[in-house]
Amino acid sequence: MKKGKIVAMLLAGGQGTRLKELTKNIAKPAVPFGGKYRIIDFALSNAANSGIEDIGVLTQYKPFILNSHIGIGTAWDYDRNVGGLRILQPFMSEKGGRWYRGTANAIYENMNFIDELDPEYVLVLSGDHIYKMNYNDLLDAHKQKNADVTIAVLTVPLEETNRFGIINVDDDNRIVEFEEKPKKAKSNLASMGIYMFNWPVLREYLIKDNEDKTSDNDFGKNVLPLMLRENKKMYTWEFKGYWKDVGTVKSYWEANMDLLNPDNTLNLYDRDWRIYTRTRNLPPQYIHKSSKVVNSMINEGCYIEGTVEKSVLFGDVIVEKGAVVKNSVILSNSVIKKDAKVYNAVVMEDVTVESGKEIGLDDGFKIYMVTNDKVVAE
Amino acid sequence: MVRSLGIISTANIENNFGVLCKHRPVYMLPYGGRYRLIDFSLSNMVNHGIRTVAVYTGEKIRSTMDHLGDGKPWDLNRRINGLYIVPPITQDYTISRYGDIPHFFSTLEFIEQVKEKVILINEPNIIAKVDLDDAMEHFLETDADITLFYKRIHDPLGNYINCEKISISEDGDMINIGLNLGTEIDFNMYLRMGYIKKEVFVKLVKESIEKGDADYIQEAIIKNRHKYKINTYEFKGHVENIRNLKTYYDANMNLLKRSISNAVFQENGVVLTKSKDEPSTIYTDSAQVQNSLIANGCIIEGKVENSIIFRGVRVGKNAIVRNSVVMQKSEILENASVVNSILDKQVIITEGVRIAGTRSIPYVVEKNQIIGRD
Repeated sequence: MKKGKIVAMLLAGGQGTRLKELTKNIAKPAVPFGGKYRIIDFALSNAANSGIEDIGVLTQYKPFILNSHIGIGTAWDYDRNVGGLRILQPFMSEKGGRWYRGTANAIYENMNFIDELDPEYVLVLSGDHIYKMNYNDLLDAHKQKNADVTIAVLTVPLEETNRFGIINVDDDNRIVEFEEKPKKAKSNLASMGIYMFNWPVLREYLIKDNEDKTSDNDFGKNVLPLMLRENKKMYTWEFKGYWKDVGTVKSYWEANMDLLNPDNTLNLYDRDWRIYTRTRNLPPQYIHKSSKVVNSMINEGCYIEGTVEKSVLFGDVIVEKGAVVKNSVILSNSVIKKDAKVYNAVVMEDVTVESGKEIGLDDGFKIYMVTNDKVVAE
Repeated sequence: MVRSLGIISTANIENNFGVLCKHRPVYMLPYGGRYRLIDFSLSNMVNHGIRTVAVYTGEKIRSTMDHLGDGKPWDLNRRINGLYIVPPITQDYTISRYGDIPHFFSTLEFIEQVKEKVILINEPNIIAKVDLDDAMEHFLETDADITLFYKRIHDPLGNYINCEKISISEDGDMINIGLNLGTEIDFNMYLRMGYIKKEVFVKLVKESIEKGDADYIQEAIIKNRHKYKINTYEFKGHVENIRNLKTYYDANMNLLKRSISNAVFQENGVVLTKSKDEPSTIYTDSAQVQNSLIANGCIIEGKVENSIIFRGVRVGKNAIVRNSVVMQKSEILENASVVNSILDKQVIITEGVRIAGTRSIPYVVEKNQIIGRD
């Protein structure tokens, strides 16, 4: 075992079916966010900024865009001679092949990969979440308690506990109970799906879990509760900061809108913790004399002649004269034609909103998902 | 397709740019919100399939090394060939230390060894996105030894006085290159760019060294114009000939016209540059922006008009930026005003301070300066 070595395993197979059109052709981690990123950029950048040198990215659901986005990890400095990033797809072996069944099974199937690197710790991450975290803080807590596993947790409002895996701890932050999406929770500490394991312990339990034919091979449901039953040293570490799991179109829209709040705690402008992504090489944005742009995030390649208010525009978006974009998220390469109005909408990539068309209501509560064929209210 | 070896050399006009070129060669001047002049040359070359490029850096090499690195943004980080950065050798020669010929001579081995048989010479302070495939066809079809590129300029106001003027015979051969003194309203401006057969290039360099009669390759070409077939190729697109502070400022301002920014940014493929991983630009409630080109990573809270704003710039509340070029990571704090000015990188204009130049003589603030009240 290589003392102190960490291997991160990033689970990037999420389907995100409730995101509808956003995940029609791509996996959830590949969904565009915040003007120029894809959701997975946050976990990858966190890992890179935390100095983690080995990372396996497990993809399986509609992986094409995700794979080409990540490439060999150049954008995150993971194109290394020693270590670096590997994409781990489900594969065939002499016993046949299959899709990863659950989160734990995905790691189990890639045990050889981890064994070869021979780390002391394995950090399991999810590619579905938007947050900035220094994983060394989690590791420090893990070492301090001499734990077998340390789970990053977040305080959530008591009325929302039914959306999360809730963890009950003792005074020393040692885990005493797991509750999966409880209606009446005893605590409001929610698991973030970020686990720091001692590899030998995780290895043992992955094998045990795999032998159990009734198991769903899921960390939250199976492996962690099994470890708890067998009295392993399991602790929580509380994360304080911005964290968002964008499950639905509405929460996706909200998370983008959060960025427009000057006091938002994600702070994409912190030069000491940059979020990296694959670059598109677009020229600067142009803001025309006849335009009005306020309270918005706009990206390279955009050409703005109309009004943009409280919106997030991705690269290469054109807003023509007289057009209005308000409270909306417009993905790359879309065109809002002359005098068209777009309110409270998420406009997909390569969409043209025809001249004079109106989408949504200025004072409505619904969010509209816009593609070239249809407009769906949420 | 015949591939050429790209050679980039630097125009010897740093003195025309004052403090902007104190620490950088002319081809490293920031331009258009997120680029350096050399990006346009490099990108146009690689977008036309050139796979080997040699950059003769001149003496102020630090910013060049930092920007070009191993050539990755232009896909020039190849295992074989790719980007060659050639710093000057300053001690070896007893003969002339001026001009580009000694530098070419000291690297002849490399030039002879690469497999490309044609050389594209150019100097990035002239931005011209020439269709290099079309020019190559012309070069090969006419069986020329050298084909020089020019642009026909209509200049009733004398804006192009002191630019290089190329005289051309009726059948398109070069007669000579001189200076435009404005005697004709229409003239042919030499773009300091062209194809040259490698064997001819090598011969010219060697002979110039031996005879000691030319310091610059252009000088050698003109001196030997009767020995070789030298013809011309007309470029019809947009040209920026950046040769002093005024033309540098104007070339930036020209990008506010859509036809020009399309020609400069879009023609023949995208312009590639080193990525800075800046987030989106944010415009707050109090932002008022009109007719401006703005790069990513900026936070705009004040008023910006007719300006070019580079990556990571901050414009504070009630601050005004008008008719100005503001380079990377500069900050204009609350209530400050910047009019007809060029701010180099990481300049801070402190609260309430006003600076202004005129449109013909913009006020220039040197890199890393903090401008406060006296």
